[in-house]
Amino acid sequence: MNADRRPTLAVWLLGLALCAIVVARTGLSTDMAAFLPRAPSAAQQVLVDQVRSGVASRLLLLGIEGAPPETLVMLSRDVGERLRPLDAFLSVNNGADEGLAGERDFFWDHRYLLSPAVDAERFTVAGLHAALVNDLRLLRTPLGALVKRTLPADPTGESLALLDAVAGGERPRARDGIWLSPDESRAILVVETRAAGLDLDTQARGLAAIGEAFVATRRAVPGADAARLLQSGPPVFAVRTRATMERDAMRFSLLATAIVAGLLLFAYRSLRVLLLGLIPVLSGALAGFAAVALGFGFVHGITLGFGVTLIGEAVDYSVYLFTQTAPGSSPTETLRRIWATLRLGMLTSVAGFAVMLFSSFAGFAQLGLFSITGLIVALAVVRWVLVRLLPADFVAPAAPLFAAPLLMLMRASRWLRGGLALLVLGALLALAFHRGSFWQEDIASLSPVPAADQQLDRALRAAIGAPDVRYLVVLSEKDEQAALTTSEGVADLLQPLIVEGALRGFDAPHRYLPSEAIQRARQAALPDGAGLTARLRDALAGLPFRADTFDPFLRDAAAAKTAPLLTRAALPPTLALKLDALLFARDGASIAALPLQSVSDPKRVAAAVAALARPDVSFVDLKQESDRLLSAYEREAGLLAILGSVAVLLLLTVSLRSPSPVLAVALPLAASVLVTAALITSGGAKLSIFDVLGLSLTVAIGSNYSLFFERQSREPEHRERSIASLGLANLCTVCGFGILSLSGIPVLHDIGATVAVGTFLSLIFSAILNPAGGARSTVSR
Amino acid sequence: MVLAIAAPAGAQTQAGWGLPQLMATLARVKSASAQFVERKTLHVLDAPLVSSGTLLYVAPDQVEKITVLPERERIAISGDKLTIEGGTSDRPRTLSLANAPEIAAFVESIRATLAGDLPALDRFYRVELAGGPSSWQLLLMPRAEKLAQLVRLIRISGSGEKITAVETDEADGDRSEMSVAEDVHER
Repeated sequence: MNADRRPTLAVWLLGLALCAIVVARTGLSTDMAAFLPRAPSAAQQVLVDQVRSGVASRLLLLGIEGAPPETLVMLSRDVGERLRPLDAFLSVNNGADEGLAGERDFFWDHRYLLSPAVDAERFTVAGLHAALVNDLRLLRTPLGALVKRTLPADPTGESLALLDAVAGGERPRARDGIWLSPDESRAILVVETRAAGLDLDTQARGLAAIGEAFVATRRAVPGADAARLLQSGPPVFAVRTRATMERDAMRFSLLATAIVAGLLLFAYRSLRVLLLGLIPVLSGALAGFAAVALGFGFVHGITLGFGVTLIGEAVDYSVYLFTQTAPGSSPTETLRRIWATLRLGMLTSVAGFAVMLFSSFAGFAQLGLFSITGLIVALAVVRWVLVRLLPADFVAPAAPLFAAPLLMLMRASRWLRGGLALLVLGALLALAFHRGSFWQEDIASLSPVPAADQQLDRALRAAIGAPDVRYLVVLSEKDEQAALTTSEGVADLLQPLIVEGALRGFDAPHRYLPSEAIQRARQAALPDGAGLTARLRDALAGLPFRADTFDPFLRDAAAAKTAPLLTRAALPPTLALKLDALLFARDGASIAALPLQSVSDPKRVAAAVAALARPDVSFVDLKQESDRLLSAYEREAGLLAILGSVAVLLLLTVSLRSPSPVLAVALPLAASVLVTAALITSGGAKLSIFDVLGLSLTVAIGSNYSLFFERQSREPEHRERSIASLGLANLCTVCGFGILSLSGIPVLHDIGATVAVGTFLSLIFSAILNPAGGARSTVSR
Repeated sequence: MVLAIAAPAGAQTQAGWGLPQLMATLARVKSASAQFVERKTLHVLDAPLVSSGTLLYVAPDQVEKITVLPERERIAISGDKLTIEGGTSDRPRTLSLANAPEIAAFVESIRATLAGDLPALDRFYRVELAGGPSSWQLLLMPRAEKLAQLVRLIRISGSGEKITAVETDEADGDRSEMSVAEDVHER
């Protein structure tokens, strides 16, 4: 080691050590929200809150299928009984009474504070008499056997009215009380987990416990050998996505490294060259992760997966240096010769990646920062470290195998140019006549959850009559009591609309926690002990009820009259969670959400809410909100792609200083973007946001190839080596990105496939369109 | 399994006649109508509740109980749906039997007997038969514990393809007796 290189290497090693320390102290995140819409409006905030912390994020939907309905009922009952005692679950609901016990007790115990029917009228002699006559009528029906149980303590039927209201909307189909899908092919269970939706480790254990319970159940129930358990719901998606992401990031990193290493080994036939070649890549990756860790405080799993592509892209710099070092020249001389091109190539790539920093997806901003840092560091390590590590007489094989196909293309370029023109024309026509919109219209397509899983989730939700909420009334007030009072007002507004048929029902926070004013009014409506006793006696005149039958009613009503008012603390866990999602604090205000069920006339409901003329009460269509969000993202992705391309072009123009070489570099890129876009959207397929970002990365990476073609050396020896290095470099890039396209996660798959195809076409088109091509190139051979 | 239950009951009945034969006889009836008088003795009441009206049956799963006295009321059961209307100005009340297994059990005791549907009876009750074709008695004892907490025994009496009486002993000691006088059958 000579004195000249020692300080440089020391700086490099120190840098690596610092990066390693930073990376080691940083957590890995797999929260897909980083790649999902950031929600700017209040309405969208409600959506995100519901997803992330609300009761919805703790709900598991289970389906059991593969057995006749009677067996499904037995399986559902049995697995329910196994799951209910487990600490991991707040509630296990399969239609059987046991699942609702907590809620029923709450409604029963507090019926006089909760029932909207409680008013002064209800407890007059006439009101009580009417209720008792109705009870007598019910006793004659088949319902009598059940009514008889609650009658002595609840002759006015408050508990029944409450349970009806809460169970309102569509009831799931059932058999012997157990929920089944409409075609009776599945039993359905709804499980609420104790752990928060984002507590993935606990959720994963809960899911495993359900799996074990089901295996035991299947053994216990005869004739159920073929029965299968289906799991769905946000915790399942989150746990599965994390597992997929970790698996993909790990598997594809290893696979890409192995393939790229194999390629390098094949090209250079030397383990030492291979290891040297990987030094800039690994340094760049480490620095990239450290930059992301410092900039964001966490590294996202997707970023890690994306790191794979850096292997393919950053290894190019080593390849250019190795392959273009001809015998008789030293690596330092080669570097001097190609440095300007390498640097310009790196800068155009950085310009392309830089636009990702401005994306509203926190995840893409991470990818941008990661790639930019990685590329800059990788090239810097080539320039100042790698070249010093190579012996002065270093010679790598010329690897003519990688140059041959490209040289063939160049020789035939005169004819191929015509073909390319036709191809581009075809692509333009295909894009022009593309059926319908180019854009992916369903926001679900961005989700890492596979379409089949999303479909299963929808089917299970529909079966229990709890489809995803689309419409909400959202209101904002200064404090919780005001929010509850307004919620009660909105309910009065909605009730007549239910009778009209504009909607089937709604949920509201005051149903579980009425405002204090309403609770006091209900207490005031209850007569005192002596008064109620006297009124009841008069009301019973002429009716066949036994005199002492209603003693429990007198006792309960007297207790309710002086009972402390209900607070959040009185709610059983399942209802407390429900209330948390319907009534929450945000920025010093209290927000209440009223999810509407089966809205058949949204305009009518919207008009009724608008007629309130309260700016802090709004009717929200979540689908419309998410559509709006998606198109905002599409506009953004398009804009970023255009800005990225413009940045690359500007950089080229400034560096190359004349229009004709800029055109020579830009033309193959434009052609490859067009043809790639046409390929992706062929057969009516849609373009996703990720595809568009992939196209802009194609420009960023592909510009390197066309640059090298444009600035190739005139000496045949250098030229062939230069072209071989391009072939090898491109293969590495195509492998790195191509492997990502195997992932089931849309963001990895779409970007991987688009960039792999796009950069490959960029290289081919650069060879065909290269300015030194045609007649001159054949002569030079 | 069904036959095994029927076998001891068959021992008390005439040779060659048992549950399967009774059920087959009942199943041949496509529609029927009858007058009923029902008397419910409930512990919450001082005096029995007496009501009367018409029972209608259309095979296989429609039953209507139209009460005329003491006031007009109609209970209609069709498939999984139970509808109650009448009394004062209340809106009709509908519920799904599948969601209310106990009520479904009460309903099925009569409907499945009318339809001669032994498997449906067997889902809820242990079924025993006594007597002969001209005067038989079906004894229905609940299988599920939850149902047994409500009802102890349902006794359905009949003659040939006609039901003549339904008596229900509830678990809390309450009783209901319904006598039925069938009109002419349409076959």
